[in-house]
Amino acid sequence: MTLLVIAGGLAVVGLWWPTAVITASPSALAIAVAELVGMIGSYLVCIQVLLIARIPWFERMVGLDRLVAWHRVVGTSTLFLVLAHVSFMTLSQWITVGGGPVGAYLGLFHIYPDMLTATVGTAIMLGAGLLSANVLRRLMSYELWYWTHVTTYLAIFLTFLHQISAGPVFVGHPLNRLIWMAMYFGTAACVVVWRALTPLVRFAKHRFEVVAIVPESRRMTSVWIRSKRPELLRARAGQFMLFRFLAWGHLLTAHPYSISNVPADGLIRITVADLGDHSGALRNVRPGTKVVVEGPFGGFFGRRRRAASILLVAGGAGIGPIRGLAEQFARMGRSVVVVYRASHTDDLALYHEVAALPRVHLVPLVGRRAELGYDPLEPGRLARAVPDIAHRETFICGPDAMIERVRGSLIDLGVPARRIHSEELSFA
Amino acid sequence: MTRRWQGTTLFTVIMAGVAATVGGRLMTAPAPTAVAAPNLGSTTTTTPAPTSTPTGATTPSAAAHSPAAQAAPAKTTVQGAVEQTVYGPVQVSVTFSGSKITDVTALQTPNQSGRDVMIASYAVPQLRQEVLASQSAHVDSVSGATYTSGGYLQSVQSAIDAHH
Repeated sequence: MTLLVIAGGLAVVGLWWPTAVITASPSALAIAVAELVGMIGSYLVCIQVLLIARIPWFERMVGLDRLVAWHRVVGTSTLFLVLAHVSFMTLSQWITVGGGPVGAYLGLFHIYPDMLTATVGTAIMLGAGLLSANVLRRLMSYELWYWTHVTTYLAIFLTFLHQISAGPVFVGHPLNRLIWMAMYFGTAACVVVWRALTPLVRFAKHRFEVVAIVPESRRMTSVWIRSKRPELLRARAGQFMLFRFLAWGHLLTAHPYSISNVPADGLIRITVADLGDHSGALRNVRPGTKVVVEGPFGGFFGRRRRAASILLVAGGAGIGPIRGLAEQFARMGRSVVVVYRASHTDDLALYHEVAALPRVHLVPLVGRRAELGYDPLEPGRLARAVPDIAHRETFICGPDAMIERVRGSLIDLGVPARRIHSEELSFA
Repeated sequence: MTRRWQGTTLFTVIMAGVAATVGGRLMTAPAPTAVAAPNLGSTTTTTPAPTSTPTGATTPSAAAHSPAAQAAPAKTTVQGAVEQTVYGPVQVSVTFSGSKITDVTALQTPNQSGRDVMIASYAVPQLRQEVLASQSAHVDSVSGATYTSGGYLQSVQSAIDAHH
C-alpha cells in the first residue's frame, strides 16, 4: 500500500521533471519547488479522498479506523504542502517583481488563470483542515465539522482548475493533462460510487427503519433498526456503520455507530452514549424513521478469530461492539472475559445483558481514578482481575486514552503486540 | 503521542525529497545557452546586427499586423506580427540579407513573471539558432517553452511572409 503511494509520488515527480525550467537563480528555484510541491500536494489530496472513499476491498484489508488515522496524518502534511506551494509561488514573484508578499501574491492573479477559484478553494481547504486539528475539533459539534469537511470536495474542484489551466506541466502537454484529469476523475468516481450510490442502492433494498428506542443507562440509548431484506444484511457483531436518520435535525449528517448485538432477523442495534450532540438527540428519534446506512465497516471480528480464549475490554460506548463480540465468540465456544470500565455504576449500560450471556465472564471495573486512589487498568490490577490475561487474544474498544492505557498494561504483562487489537470509537 | 507529529514528519520528509529532486534537476539541467549566440551570418555583415535582448524589455511596437519593411538594397529588417500567447505577447524582427535570414531579434517576450523571463531567456537563443540554421520557421519548439516557441515562430513566419 505505502509502496504504491510512494510509486505514485515518484510518477508525479516524473511528470514534473521534463517540463521543469531550472536555473540557479533564487526565483527560478522557488518556482521549481513551488510547482513540485503543488503537484505532490495535489496528488496527496487525491490519496486523501481515496483513503476515505469507502472502497470495499481497501476497507476490508485495512479497516476504516486505521484509514481515518492515515487520513489524518496525510491530511496534515497535505495542508502544509499546499501552504508551501502558495508561499514559494509568492516568494518567487516577490523576488522577481518585488512589492511585498501581498502584492506579489496578487500579482500572480495577472499571470495565471483561475487564480481566484484556486484562492477560494485553498481557503476552504485550510479552514477545514485547521478545524480538524485536535484542539479546535474538540470545540465544535460533529455537524459543523462534518459540513466544513464536505465542503472540501468543492474546494478540491476549485483548486483543480488552476492546476490544469496554469500548471506548466499541463499547459501544452495534452498527455500530462489527460493523466492528471484521469487521476482526479477516477478519485471522484470512487467517491460517487462508494459514498453516494452504494448507500442509496442499499437503502432501496433494505428500507432500513427505526423500530424501537430503548434507554440503557443514564447516558446511553439503544436504537433498533430493521431491514426489510434480512437475507441481504451482511453486518456482523463488532462492526460499525454510518447512520443517517431521515428526520429533521439528523438529515444532514451521517454518524458512525457500532453495532451492539449479533445481527439476526434483519435487526441491528446501536448503543450510543449521549455526548451532548447528535448522540443525545437520538433519544428523540421516532420509530418508523427511515435510515440510510453506509457500511458495515471494521474488521474487528475477522481478526484472529481462531484464538481459544478471548479478552474483551470495553470503555464507555465501547460496550456496544464488545457486547456483540462477546456473544459471537461465546457462541463459537471460546472462553470469553469481558472487562467493563466505567466511572460510575449508572454508566454500565447493557451490564445485565452481558452478564446474562452464557459462557461469558464479566469483570466490571467501576469508579473514578481520583476516588479509587488507583487506576484499575494498571498492569497489576488487570492481572488480578484476569489471571490468565497473558494467554488471551485481546480486543479493546473505547476512548483513545483508555485504549492506550490498556495496551500499555498488556505489553507490560508480556502480551505480544500482535495479540492486542483495538478500535477507536471516535474517528472524526 | 507519536501520532501527533506523524503528519509534520511526513511533510518534512516530502520537503526534503522535493529539495533533493530540485537539486538533482538543477545538476542535470543543460547549461542555458549563452545569450550572445554566434552569428551564423556567413554573408556580408556591413552593419552589426542588433543584439537580441531576450528578456523582452523592449518597448512594444505599435506596428501590430502591418509589418513595416525598411528598404535597404541587400539587408532588410522586417518586424513580425505580435503574437498573443497564454503568457503574453511575442514579437520578433527578422533581418534578411537578400532572401537569407541572418538574424532574429526578440522584440517582446512574456515577462509577467520570473518564470516567463526565465523561460524566454533560455528558449529565445535556442529558437534563434534553430531558425538561422533551418532558414525557416518550421523548427521544433523548445520543450518547457511551448507557448513562447509557438508565438516566436509564428512571428518569424509572418516576417518571412511579409518579406517575400
